[in-house]
Amino acid sequence: MSASPRAAFRPDGAVGAVRRAVLWVPDWPVVAAAAEAGIGADAPAAVLHGRGLVAVSASARAMGVRRGMRRRAAQRVCPDLAILGYDEGRDSREFEAVAAAAERVVSGVEISRPGLLIVPAGGAARYHGSEEALAEALVGAVAEDAGCECQFGAADGLLGAVMAARASVLVPAGASADFLAPLPVGSLAHAAMDRFQRVAVEELAGVLDRLGLHSLGQFAALPAGDVLARFGPTGAWARRMALGEDVAPPVLRRAEQDIAVVHAFEEPAERTEQLVWLAREAAQRLDAALLDAGMRCGKVRIGARTAKGDALERVWRTDVATRAGAFAGHMADRVRWQLEGWLSGTAGGPEPAPLVELSLVAEDVVPLGAEQSYLWGGSSGADARARRTFERLQGLLGGEGVLSVAEQGGRSPRDRVHALAWGQEGEAPRRIAHPWPGRIPDPAPATVLAVPLEIQVLDAGGSPVIVDRRLALSAPPTWARLQADPSDRRARAAHRHPSSGHVGGAEGPVWELPRPVEAWAGPWPVVERWWASDSDRRAYLQLALRTDDGEPGLAVLVAFADGKWRLEALYD
Amino acid sequence: MSGERGRIEHVFEQSPGIRLEAARAALAQVEARVGVTREAGERAWPLTEPWSELLPAGLPRGRVVSVESSTSLLLALAGQASGQGAWAAVVGMPTFGAVAAARRGMDLSRVALIPHPGSQAAEVIGLCLEGVDVVLAGPRLALSDADRRRLAARARERGALILVVAPWAGADVTLTVERVRWAGLGAGEGRLREREATVAVGGRRVGAVRRVRLLLDVDAGLRSRSAVTGAQSREEVA
Repeated sequence: MSASPRAAFRPDGAVGAVRRAVLWVPDWPVVAAAAEAGIGADAPAAVLHGRGLVAVSASARAMGVRRGMRRRAAQRVCPDLAILGYDEGRDSREFEAVAAAAERVVSGVEISRPGLLIVPAGGAARYHGSEEALAEALVGAVAEDAGCECQFGAADGLLGAVMAARASVLVPAGASADFLAPLPVGSLAHAAMDRFQRVAVEELAGVLDRLGLHSLGQFAALPAGDVLARFGPTGAWARRMALGEDVAPPVLRRAEQDIAVVHAFEEPAERTEQLVWLAREAAQRLDAALLDAGMRCGKVRIGARTAKGDALERVWRTDVATRAGAFAGHMADRVRWQLEGWLSGTAGGPEPAPLVELSLVAEDVVPLGAEQSYLWGGSSGADARARRTFERLQGLLGGEGVLSVAEQGGRSPRDRVHALAWGQEGEAPRRIAHPWPGRIPDPAPATVLAVPLEIQVLDAGGSPVIVDRRLALSAPPTWARLQADPSDRRARAAHRHPSSGHVGGAEGPVWELPRPVEAWAGPWPVVERWWASDSDRRAYLQLALRTDDGEPGLAVLVAFADGKWRLEALYD
Repeated sequence: MSGERGRIEHVFEQSPGIRLEAARAALAQVEARVGVTREAGERAWPLTEPWSELLPAGLPRGRVVSVESSTSLLLALAGQASGQGAWAAVVGMPTFGAVAAARRGMDLSRVALIPHPGSQAAEVIGLCLEGVDVVLAGPRLALSDADRRRLAARARERGALILVVAPWAGADVTLTVERVRWAGLGAGEGRLREREATVAVGGRRVGAVRRVRLLLDVDAGLRSRSAVTGAQSREEVA
């Protein structure tokens, strides 16, 4: 029934379209953000990303707020507009509840993007009797379980189904092309599922509009070859979408239980001694759960909740080769280190607080015996030996005793390194790809002090050089005094001598003799995060110093902040 | 590439015994090429210019190389080995400049840092020598002379290289950076761009001390202007 009328649109014999049902939650980013912020669904709200609004709630739209508006323009139209932050992760996370509600009605759904859910309509509609019954069941389940309004539509092909959901209609089989024909070409963007594709499609729609092709029907009437030649793959994709055809079959997700262990503490754990036994117990339970399922895992996500309600999470790699009975012990150590890190506050994150819940989730799960070692290298030979060595060292020195490092973005040499305990996985907080204006130029210093040491930068008369508010140096730097090695007896003795100026005291840093400055550059101002409490404002200076015997030698990077010079790095 | 394919095709035309031999030989070649096995005969990592001026025979395995007063040179030598697939452990260097190391060819995914080994330094370095090809040791480690001798013997046995910052009694090769000249920095303008260093090569296995002048940091912008001086600057100045 569906094949005969649509055959006319498919002279090239392309694959047919799957009948799909689409569940669409209007303005999903706002709905998710408002739910998280505890704002009612009927309050005017909008989500701001960059400079413009990306999503606007229905009540705000009624007051004249539009997508793409600047914050100030939107607030002028609607003064009590709640402006919420943009967070892609939150959108996906919150949508999980909607997907779970839909899965109660149909098995296997495809989340194309947060806010849009695709269900293959054929089987589900037959099971529920008709598409109307399916729509009723789905909308009811989502409203009941996830607590949000959604719209439902069904049609052949992806674009047809998405547009049907936006219009809340059920397009009869085979009528998708006719349904789409009068719609504007701009609606093609609704079928684009990621941001880059969306930009490309919006660009294409703009061009089509300027060429005088305003409706999808006009665009679809163009010969396929000409569209491909003029607009490339995006054009060919858009033409098939406009015809109500599919490019790829829906990718259904299967609901599978995580292999996980959750342990709620009877009383909040504050001391690490309480956790040693718990870590071992939890690791053994995870091991047993994996064994029951006949699986093994490549990573374990360790999560905890604190008494203050913060959720902490870290992923640790586990060597799949350490399976034979050693997994529990191996994992117990990592769980213990991670919990110790959170309790002591060395692992970063929110303020340390007693822990009330521990969870372990197995990730990268593969059936037992199905994992493969790499053909060359990988988990064999030298690599495995080195990894085992570092894991043994961790056993000796503790989790934070062995670190892996990666380069990240940043301005000062210290910021550009991201260190993690060996085996822990985490994204670097600062992207390398970002521009980082004002970064200290290459070459990178080979010695970067973990804690900057105080240094004296003096002018020709011996008084300290300072950088004023307008970033001018009080005088050219002529001398620099580094701190002497505390084990250097001669420097200590010189420090105690009355001629050094510190009469009667051995306290304070021990200074070397002043070294003449050969050449210098700066000051380079860096002001970071001035809007936050951890703001940082400093001026950098590169100094090339002469050694004691008058030879040119060491070069250093020093920073001026809060009236003091500090040695940041050595180019040695 | 085509020669190799020809050889492999050739293998299948021979009798079974010879085919097995030839297949083993081909496998060994591939393994050596991708660095899966540590070849017994190979006792040094070959160095590229300009580092080969310092150690013409390459960076020796199973030896102790100490580098004095230049962490950059230390990182450059470690980077040469790391670029050829070696794993590295950095022991007792809390001031390790990871960005500089990456710029000098170290693959940070094959590097682990042990910044504070404390009183267990000898044990930690001993363990590292078991599983890692290059161990970089920092200046202030709690090591006695007996520890140092024992670790050197362990390194010789395992074919691992110890690169140390500080003077190390009985080091096989000692590289001392004696004179450094920076270019690019002026009186309040410019930036550090290029460094020329004079390195004295000495030690138990080298004989008479040799001095080599080389560029520790090369700035492509400065180089293009004075390409001639670059060639001259690497001559030896005994």
